[in-house]
Amino acid sequence: MHIEQITMLGHKDHGKSTLIGSLLMSTGSATEERIDDARNTSKRLGRQFEPAYILDAFSEEREGGLTIDTARAQVKYKGKAFEFIDVPGHEELIKNMLSGASYANTAVLVVSAARGEGIMPQTKRHLFLAKMLGIEHFVIAINKMDAVQYSQDAYEPLRNEIAAYLDSIGVHSQRVNFVPISAYSFDNLVSKSKNMQWYRGKALMDLLLTCHSKNVAEDMALRAIVQGTVETESGMAYTAKILSGKIETGSTVRILPLGKRVVVKSLYVKGKKAKNAKAEENIAIGVSQDMGNIRGSIISNSAQTKVAKAISTMLFFVKPVSGAAELRFNGNKTNGTITVDRIIDTTTGSPKSTQKPKALDAGECIIRLNGKVAVEEFSSFRGLGRFVFYKNDEFAGIGVIEKVLG
Amino acid sequence: MIEQNLDELEEKSIYIMREAKERFKNVAALWSMGKDSTTMLALARKAFMGKVPFPIIHIDNGIDFPETYEFREKLAKQWKLNLIVQKSEIKPEMSGYACCGANKTVALKKVMKEYGFDALIVSIRRDEHGIRGKERYISPRTKDFKWKYKNQPAELWNDYSSKLDKGGHIRVHPLLDWNEIDIWNYIKREKVPINSLYFSRDGTRYRSLGCTHCTVPIKSNADNIDKIINELKNTKVEERSGRQQDKETAYIMEKLRALGYM
Ligand SMILES: Nc1nc2c(ncn2[C@@H]2O[C@H](COP(=O)(O)OP(=O)(O)OP(=O)(O)O)[C@@H](O)[C@H]2O)c(=O)[nH]1
Ligand SMILES: [Mg+2]
Repeated sequence: MHIEQITMLGHKDHGKSTLIGSLLMSTGSATEERIDDARNTSKRLGRQFEPAYILDAFSEEREGGLTIDTARAQVKYKGKAFEFIDVPGHEELIKNMLSGASYANTAVLVVSAARGEGIMPQTKRHLFLAKMLGIEHFVIAINKMDAVQYSQDAYEPLRNEIAAYLDSIGVHSQRVNFVPISAYSFDNLVSKSKNMQWYRGKALMDLLLTCHSKNVAEDMALRAIVQGTVETESGMAYTAKILSGKIETGSTVRILPLGKRVVVKSLYVKGKKAKNAKAEENIAIGVSQDMGNIRGSIISNSAQTKVAKAISTMLFFVKPVSGAAELRFNGNKTNGTITVDRIIDTTTGSPKSTQKPKALDAGECIIRLNGKVAVEEFSSFRGLGRFVFYKNDEFAGIGVIEKVLG
Repeated sequence: MIEQNLDELEEKSIYIMREAKERFKNVAALWSMGKDSTTMLALARKAFMGKVPFPIIHIDNGIDFPETYEFREKLAKQWKLNLIVQKSEIKPEMSGYACCGANKTVALKKVMKEYGFDALIVSIRRDEHGIRGKERYISPRTKDFKWKYKNQPAELWNDYSSKLDKGGHIRVHPLLDWNEIDIWNYIKREKVPINSLYFSRDGTRYRSLGCTHCTVPIKSNADNIDKIINELKNTKVEERSGRQQDKETAYIMEKLRALGYM
């Protein structure tokens, strides 16, 4: 069964964890024990019942009323399956937000309509990041409508401001659904709320039914990442994970950045000899030439995969970095030098008049690589067009490749 | 409980295990002879051409069920496992937190040190417990076996290259994405040998296996795999409800994991 992975987005305290908790309860997806545990914890802490505790399992999360690290929960609804990914809304915890949201193809942005909340820095920053991560479908849930007497006047300005921001970052707002909800009171979660007759659209879960991510195309050109080696009956073989396309015994494949063409002599899938293998499968291949340790190399028959010495990128800085940094492409390390062209404020989407990044800024940057790396533009193939970067062994941010500069 | 695509799960697990084998010098795996760690062994055989390429550790407190010991001997022989049995000290009055937290962890520390393992494959699943749902696939532990859960490494886009604490080790979680029902569907599909305690006898069966001190059976007539799968499709009860150590006090699981309990 296909499971659509959906990440929550939004500023701290706007109700992301509560929303997942309430969705679990209203679709019958949580066990009685987990609900009771949340109920008892709420009581022990002298609080109203907090459905968020079904997700927020650490004591610090419950006592502090915040999500520290990402968690997941699965829901079945009208014959379809969903996995909701909860993420923290605190800006200091953005590395955990990225660790969760990076798995999703769909996002639900939670914005609180309660007084004093509304559109906050993480509201827009999370949308910016979701776009960068390549998330395809968005639903905007304007939450805590119960706290503003379910009034359309509280809803409309938020809706309009978010729509304008989506357009400004290149997400067509007309194709995005907006829904007023109360995660706490279950309004417009699975059934239409009587409290908001002015809302003409569907309940949240019904909006999510239409979000369906495409499968990785098997009919694309072959791309695979070499993981290492394994001993087989016919000698040493390279292990690899196929990202797109197919591979067969007897076929010729290109190994990058070496630029060698080799023939696939033997092929193993799941420990057994096979004639062919396809996208998503982990293989072992014996080839016509021993190339030594090529962990991190790319097997690609696509003309789009190029050997880069420099790349033009969009970076998101979890820590401010310029100059030397370590880039990791699918876990493989390469050193490079970052030159900032333009800094972008991720809470507005507009350029800043500085070339010095601050934490949580984005930047259009050129990176010169010390070694050769096989990559692709993010727009042509995501799996080879993105990387994370480190400075002094600390996670410093993520990047996507806009152009390969040869 | 949602039934996921077994081929997809299998591929994810194979990738994580191969990554561990490439990245770390001295990998070992924990085996409790339960359904999850036995499934992990079956997956390792797929990842590594039919043989399990790392040592398998059983932390033996001497009070596992007789069926469990029989199963251990049989499968270790059949799959040619490089089995390390590490005895843990058990006092008759001990149970729950004291036992799992102290005894098993002490024994595990001892064996890790003796053999110099830098990575340990542990067959936990996200759906077992709220705290387990917070784990990464590749997760560092300190030299005192502590889990620094308030500051876990970033993990995205196939980058599992978080750094190792000095003197610490890495926990590898290849089964994190699996649901309980997926394990059973896989055992059925792949004919994975399984401990007989999971099957109903006289109206009860074990759904989750700990040792004889802490595990209580559930009421069930499921005496074969199909019946177990059917039972799980409709259950509203947590898998570990028969495990005493999860219940003692609030946050017990968090304490156990922070202490290095698997
Ligand atoms: N009145 C009202 N309160 C809500 C609603 N949804 C959530 N809350 C409350 O808002 C507070 C924060 O909710 P959480 O779900 O923890 O917020 P979050 O977005 O997960 O916050 P972080 O994890 O810190 O990012 C809790 O006290 C909830 O009870 C709602 O629909 N109406
Ligand atoms: Mg939260």
